[in-house]
Amino acid sequence: MCLDRGLFSGYTAGPFYDEMFSSQGAARSHYARLLEKLGGMAPSQFEERRKLADLSFLLQGITFTVYSDGRGTERLFPFDLIPRILPQSEWAHIEAGLTQRVVALNLFLQDVYGKQQILKDRKIPSSLVYSCRHFRREMMGLEVPHGIYTHVCGIDLVRDSSTGEFYVLEDNVRTPSGISYVLENRLVMTRAFPEAFHEHEVLPVAHYPSELSRILRMLSPRGESESQIVLLTPGIHNSAYFEHSFLAQQMGIELVEGSDLIVDGVVVYMKTIYGLKRVDVIYRRVDDDFLDPLCFRSDSMLGVPGLMGAYRAGNVALANTPGNGVADDKAIYAFVPTLIKYYLGEDPVLRSVETYLCDRSDHLSHVLTNLPKLVVKSVGESGGYGMLMGPSAARAEIEAFRERIMSEPRNYIAQPIVPLSVVPSYDSAAQCMAGRHVDLRPYCLYDGQKVTIVPGGLTRVALQPGSLVVNSSQGGGSKDTWVLRGEC
Amino acid sequence: MLSRIADSLFWLARYTGRAEDTARILDVTFHTLLEQAQKRYGLRWDPILSMAGEETLFRQFYSEADAHNVFEFLAFNPNNPSSIMQCITKARENARKIRDRISREMWEDLNGLYFTLGTFDPKEETAAGPHRFCGRVIFGSHRFHGVTDATLPHDEGWEFLRVGWALERAEMTARLVDVQYRNLLALSSIGGTPDSHQWMAVLKSVGAYEAYHRQYHSPIDPARVAEMLILNSQHPRSIRFCVTEMQAGLRAISNTGPGSYANEAERLTGKVLEGLRYDRIDDILRGGLHGYLTGLIQMFNTIGEVIARTYFYYAAVA
Repeated sequence: MCLDRGLFSGYTAGPFYDEMFSSQGAARSHYARLLEKLGGMAPSQFEERRKLADLSFLLQGITFTVYSDGRGTERLFPFDLIPRILPQSEWAHIEAGLTQRVVALNLFLQDVYGKQQILKDRKIPSSLVYSCRHFRREMMGLEVPHGIYTHVCGIDLVRDSSTGEFYVLEDNVRTPSGISYVLENRLVMTRAFPEAFHEHEVLPVAHYPSELSRILRMLSPRGESESQIVLLTPGIHNSAYFEHSFLAQQMGIELVEGSDLIVDGVVVYMKTIYGLKRVDVIYRRVDDDFLDPLCFRSDSMLGVPGLMGAYRAGNVALANTPGNGVADDKAIYAFVPTLIKYYLGEDPVLRSVETYLCDRSDHLSHVLTNLPKLVVKSVGESGGYGMLMGPSAARAEIEAFRERIMSEPRNYIAQPIVPLSVVPSYDSAAQCMAGRHVDLRPYCLYDGQKVTIVPGGLTRVALQPGSLVVNSSQGGGSKDTWVLRGEC
Repeated sequence: MLSRIADSLFWLARYTGRAEDTARILDVTFHTLLEQAQKRYGLRWDPILSMAGEETLFRQFYSEADAHNVFEFLAFNPNNPSSIMQCITKARENARKIRDRISREMWEDLNGLYFTLGTFDPKEETAAGPHRFCGRVIFGSHRFHGVTDATLPHDEGWEFLRVGWALERAEMTARLVDVQYRNLLALSSIGGTPDSHQWMAVLKSVGAYEAYHRQYHSPIDPARVAEMLILNSQHPRSIRFCVTEMQAGLRAISNTGPGSYANEAERLTGKVLEGLRYDRIDDILRGGLHGYLTGLIQMFNTIGEVIARTYFYYAAVA
């Protein structure tokens, strides 16, 4: 396939599923209008728009800091201007799958920290649950406000090139980040390419903060009318700090650090210029480990001593609920289809990637003999840490992983490499479009009754040629994600 | 409002104010000295350093003060905590910590200023002279004030900015008058004649040159210059004007009416302001200008500390 016009001239998708072009080389119907709009554009015109977008991100300080040069240089999170477009039918399928998954994960958390019926019914091994690094004994038997654990979930999806089908790659139900990029990407995109929006009916995403705010307000132990809500951040040096301040501002709530809060008489207060003021709901973006030095890690300087005491007494609500890490453990992931069947009596709408648990001896031997073909993940990690990409790894690295897996099999799972789909992305070095691998992280909000998902989510793109790793630390960027009201 | 946020707003204002003050002094002094004989340079570069309060630090880098190294030191030097670049960097850090509480426009404006100033090459600018760089800093500071005024709700957070700006200006004007007065009088005592150009430079550095002429309709007279900068009720950089602003800001924060005070910061500010309202310049000069200004500077330091104790600090246990 080869296009002869402007920006896309010489473009070929390669052997992967291309989100924009069919295997015959024609634009898919939901991309046809965009191709018409952009196809005639000269690279120099495109480059101009790109610079405009970059400047906008720089001015707003949407950067992350790289400390490797000792001076703390700020880099942009790269943004690619070609959007990822999903027609309504595909999105409806995804939405149904995510809704089902979020409800099941919440039921699982209620059960695990409550009656533990699923363990008694032996649908999932108790040893697997108790050995999760993020299982919190402290949460056992605690009744959480409205029974909600998974207020905010970010669920990573990928499209497998061999089947063209979406799969769930991992669940993030602790403190998922990235939604601010979804909202900012859209804003920048409407400024850089206003004319492209005229041609499409793109579903809006801007209601996320008000929906989250509604859910948080609902949790207030003193009732919604008297609800002081705060967002607890680890502080300015956290890589997601931009997002924390962005969300606080958008929701009109106070952004606090641990040292701004104090617990007195099992009630949480914040320190204001007029004295102490009671806090009812904490949207916390601090990990469980650091929340309360009296309950979890005693060396934590980021948390609030006594916070968990106030939480247990029902004087303050926390979102997300502590202990959620047991549900997004990568070994538990293999059982999510079982959970969906067990709690909802339904078949999973979205499939999971085949997963080998290294602490099962039959799986382990398969993993050890096929290491160069697999991706190995450490179960309690997120963000692309503790991973082995078999096909691209050096021999020594593979052997090092082999040792680690054998000494601590419970800590690892392995999966076949999923050949991710690609979206045309601008390669500024070569000054042309090239297919780059993408994933998709939609953000789901749960109020105990219904799941709300802003249409689309964060499309992360591996900007390095051939790379399958989309994390920003590995040269990944992002794209605006459009869900269309119709099919094209 | 969280105490930490009030603290950051206060310092955001002080650092942007300090950057502007330093830029003004550098720019005006440099251009005045261009019109003077080279051999007098030494006499006049040192006072700028003492105005900035960083004379000792300067000696660790340079043995003798000249046009280039004073500019480099006060504008760019990363080891000088009061250099313009350091002030803007710290102002931006404070803004970044509270960016959810300031307007998006304020953040983008200050962040843009930070990146713009970062594109200036110290070597090139030092060679070219301070006008281009300082002009950008002064313009940037003015714009930031304007953006703040137009986009931030005028609530207690705005009042902390107002108090920070006023306190920083009051202190800098006091230093400026003190140092220049001593310097120019010293010049005459060793046989030099400080001509009106130097006093003009003092007025220009606080943007009060035209206002002086409108006010006095007379040639430049050192006593009138001091009066203008210390006691004038309307010029936005006079000490009296700044202290009036401080009082208004502090009262708005504590919701205190005229004639009383709610805390030590308000009591001290009120006391200083009464003096400035009823003092006469001739009495001040007779009693010793240096002592008078030193007293004010010490008072401003105390007021800054008391504001912090009243609003920013919290005991570890409530």
